[in-house]
Amino acid sequence: MGRPAMHRPRPGDTSERPLLDLDRVSVGFADGTTALRSVSCALRANEILGVVGETGAGKSLLARTIVDLLPEGGRIIGGDVRFDGRSIPAMHRKEKARLRGGAIALVGTNAKALLDPVTPVGKQIARVARAHQQIGQRAAYRAAVALLAEVGLTNPAARARAYPHELSGGMAQRVVIAMALIANPKILLADDATLGLDATVQAQVLDMLVRRSRERGLGVMLITHDLGIVRHYCDRVVVMRDGELIEQGEVATLLDRPVKEYSRTMIAAARARPALQAAAEPTAAAALVAVRDLTMHFTSAETAEPIRAVDGISFSIHRGQTLALVGESGSGKTTAGQCIVRLQTATNGRIFFGGDDVTYVPERAFRSMRRRIQMVFQEPYVALNPRWRVADLLAEPFRLLEPMTACERTARVARLLEAVHIDPAFAGRYPHELTAGEQKRIGIARALATDPEFIVFDEPTTALDIRVRAQIIDLIRDLQARRSLTALFITHDLNSVRSLAHEVAVMHLGKIIEHGPTHAIFEAPQHAYTRKLLAAELAIDGRLGH
Amino acid sequence: MRWKDARSFILSRPGVLVGLTLLGLQLAAIMFAPFIAPFSPIDANPIDALQPPNAVHWLGTDELGMDIFSRIVFATRVNLLIGFTAVFGSIAIGVPIGVLIGYYRGWASTLAMRFFDFIQSFPVFVLGMAMVAVMGQEIWSVAIVLALLFVPMFARLVRAEVLSLRERPFIAAARCSGAGDGAIMFRHILPNAMTPVIVQVSISIGMAILLTAGLSFIGAGVRMPAPEWGLMVSSGAQQMILGIWWIALFPGIAIVLSVLSFALLADGARAFFDPRTRHGASGHA
Amino acid sequence: MTATATTALIYWRRIPRLGRIILSKLVLIVPQMFGVTLVTFLLVRLLPGDPTRLILGNFATEQSIALYRERLGLDQPLWTQFGIYLSNVLHGDLGSSPFTSNPILTDLSERAPATLELIVYAMALTLILGVGIAVIAVVKSGGMVDIASRIYGLAAGAIPDFWMALLLIFLFFHILGWAPAPFGRIDPMLLTPPTVTGFYTIDSLIARDWHAFWSSAGRLVLPVLTLTIVNAGAMMKMAQTIFGNIYQSEFVRNMRACGLTEGQIIRSALRNSLPPIISLASFIFGFLLGAAVLVETIFSWGGLGQYAVQAVINSDYAALQGFVLVASAFILVVYSIADILYEIVDPRIRI
Repeated sequence: MGRPAMHRPRPGDTSERPLLDLDRVSVGFADGTTALRSVSCALRANEILGVVGETGAGKSLLARTIVDLLPEGGRIIGGDVRFDGRSIPAMHRKEKARLRGGAIALVGTNAKALLDPVTPVGKQIARVARAHQQIGQRAAYRAAVALLAEVGLTNPAARARAYPHELSGGMAQRVVIAMALIANPKILLADDATLGLDATVQAQVLDMLVRRSRERGLGVMLITHDLGIVRHYCDRVVVMRDGELIEQGEVATLLDRPVKEYSRTMIAAARARPALQAAAEPTAAAALVAVRDLTMHFTSAETAEPIRAVDGISFSIHRGQTLALVGESGSGKTTAGQCIVRLQTATNGRIFFGGDDVTYVPERAFRSMRRRIQMVFQEPYVALNPRWRVADLLAEPFRLLEPMTACERTARVARLLEAVHIDPAFAGRYPHELTAGEQKRIGIARALATDPEFIVFDEPTTALDIRVRAQIIDLIRDLQARRSLTALFITHDLNSVRSLAHEVAVMHLGKIIEHGPTHAIFEAPQHAYTRKLLAAELAIDGRLGH
Repeated sequence: MRWKDARSFILSRPGVLVGLTLLGLQLAAIMFAPFIAPFSPIDANPIDALQPPNAVHWLGTDELGMDIFSRIVFATRVNLLIGFTAVFGSIAIGVPIGVLIGYYRGWASTLAMRFFDFIQSFPVFVLGMAMVAVMGQEIWSVAIVLALLFVPMFARLVRAEVLSLRERPFIAAARCSGAGDGAIMFRHILPNAMTPVIVQVSISIGMAILLTAGLSFIGAGVRMPAPEWGLMVSSGAQQMILGIWWIALFPGIAIVLSVLSFALLADGARAFFDPRTRHGASGHA
Repeated sequence: MTATATTALIYWRRIPRLGRIILSKLVLIVPQMFGVTLVTFLLVRLLPGDPTRLILGNFATEQSIALYRERLGLDQPLWTQFGIYLSNVLHGDLGSSPFTSNPILTDLSERAPATLELIVYAMALTLILGVGIAVIAVVKSGGMVDIASRIYGLAAGAIPDFWMALLLIFLFFHILGWAPAPFGRIDPMLLTPPTVTGFYTIDSLIARDWHAFWSSAGRLVLPVLTLTIVNAGAMMKMAQTIFGNIYQSEFVRNMRACGLTEGQIIRSALRNSLPPIISLASFIFGFLLGAAVLVETIFSWGGLGQYAVQAVINSDYAALQGFVLVASAFILVVYSIADILYEIVDPRIRI
């Protein structure tokens, strides 16, 4: 189902005064840093404003400044924030408390962390309602359950009795949105409200949010680093960098014809990278990596049935080819990758490498094969031992090779760093001294250390800023070309798949439901689920996905 | 670990400075006791008994005529020796056990944990009394008893860290890079698990000193005429009610200062290893 | 999973959560108590000193020693001795103390209320002070209470409780004369109130004996204060850390962003801090039982602690065994109750 076409801008409120007015706001901290510099923008009723920028741009800080909930040591050092003409910082403490949640509501990221772990969610919403309106406990609870239905939760009465840890990410996010809407605010600040959610869930939640906001005539500030979201939901957009407002304007105008250099770079980086060369004709040679009926079951203490994380999948990858395994969380793709690299032992099925059956080779014997199979892990920081230096981290895989002298080792480490475009002087650093993009590249360099024939990339482009993501994609393409890498990509980022993979296999609930060349899957998806996944992808170019 | 980091950290925190100074004083007392103390700590001199602090006996004398200041100085050796031996002995046994129990999940691990839980459910003090009674009231036996008493705590601490660390991706990455079980346990996990142990070392040395003093106070620890702070407080206890305050007061102050020094160092260690407080930045983003 | 296991699981889940929590704890207690009895027995057997000789004195003949050993059952193999002991315990007979000539159970039950009264009041005061100061220190961070609490936390862990008791006695009894003499639970001139609970304070209130009440309460002040001052520090530090973390957590920030009052936020944060506080409280409660040994000795309290010390010094096997058994049982019950409370309070734990 396509989404209702509600991104056409509606005429804003015709009254003179904008609902929210930021007038050259500057925010500084006790240690002397200035985090926001003279930011000016306005939000009208019935308007959806997108705020985009990379990490550290100050977007979240902006939201917190508006409701005057700055972190420790922060102060507004210049300018003013006005709601309906009245200055917010000048308000009395009690007035500000009434304002928060009552007139201006804030929805944050990672909903489960935002909810009180020991109180049922229905009561939490009712608590907020009673803080702003004079209603009794039961009336408030009823209102809460009704609102849960409105935000799209099935069986709202049962959900209201649940604790936050019993809900899924999408459900929890809806609960947080309900908490924001219960007191009938005029302004909604959504700070990266859908980060970490699956694409389909994200689309549903944003659809619901925007629909409710339009119904109530709210002014919405959608803070995000995803330009696709901006394109599809916002009327106007504001670009931020390092605490400054770089550019603002109508969505269509700014995204198609950005004026400032920074905006241009960012938008260009967000566009889909060029598609991969078509796969060479399949050779007669056997595949390098093949799995047959791979199955992974987990026994659970709660259910009699085991959890079928991976339920009989089969595929093969030829030399020099890249297969992308896509799916949402819970599809089993990460588990499948771990089975192939023998970090987990498959319950059933066969894994072949270079023609040999390696499924049940004992760990000791398999260790000698590890030099040929490597893995790049998902989250950059936690995949690197925080107490080891970069040089040691990169040199650890060398134990799988023939012994080498210290000189040779240092030289090899330097070569690896150059291959991923990092200054060899970084060899002496610790992981916490690197940026996220650099950490990701060290992870890739470590995988290259033994010159493997096959690499598994687990979510290579997730949780990265727009420009860093573009750099990583370019790096991987570079490696594919120069080393004729055979690779398996595990990802839910469909946009990156287009540039990185020859073939795509779509996983859902442990099974592969569709498998084919990249262009075929993208242009003519057969299975309903594949179509649903593609529809949920928000590309920055408005054409895709509709 | 960068020494520059450490130095600027220490200088910026008054608590750590005080702790280090006190520690230095104690170490000086240990090494130079015969030169610092004007009298012998175990020579009884009934003629000089129960003198209040004066020019000759700076902190007074006890009921046997022994100089309190000298005894306090020499007691530093006894108390700290027991404390250090107990704690480092305990670590030597408890940490490897903790790593093994945390890493391998079989029935042996569960059994070991149940056993430790069980030992910790006995009242520590009474257990200590009973064990010292078994092993004898010598300085070294008290140290061994304390070491054994602390093993469950360190094993538990390390086990908890290992349990959470073994699921981290960098361990899986090490396995991909070819590391075996032993390398993973002792080169990857252990360095990351030592942080709470280091903090706990300081705290435990303080606890050991308190326990030793307590046991000696009751008469179930070190025996007369050995100089030991708790023992000194005990002999001063009866006198206290009669108004003779100096015999029990000064050794008590010594205990407080000693344990305090280790507590301050523990706080400093904790702050040092927490990346948020180490550099003093407020970490806003 | 087998079919029977599955059906068992289904029935298990039908019991309401509270019932499941309590049942699972009760089932564990039995084997644990067995283990406690066994280990106590073995440990005490390791103690040096031959009670027979001590009782009969230096002039005892070999014959009388052998006879007495036979009477005490010390000549039997270890396992038999344990078997006899276990069956006795289950019948409520903990043996007799050769030193007090009483059945040990009597000795213990006479002295238990004294110790209990002491540590119950100390625990209550520790909780109130520890958690109370912690909450104020976190909410008014940087203020007077915060700074004072940091100093207190540091100092409290360093002060030996026996020394603190002596100082308090010296100050309040010797110099100021406010507190009564540190000899026992109640003025020896007064009659103890009729026993209902064993707590002199409560019993005297029930009997409306005001003199007894004031006397016993007055004598409780110094020992309870000693135990509290030293232990509240630990509770306060931990409560400060936990409460502080929660007070700065995301969901608290979210509550603020939704416009809830600080009072509601503090209540909610406190509710979330309960699990580790409950754990620590149970640990401190058990620890107080051991700490009471020292305090009871100084104040001549006549409780279990003094009894235990005497038992060790006299190599009174039976008495020491009885004490450790009872003390361990008590701690076990306390831990189990704490576990139950913990699981009630934290809905994230699966039973």
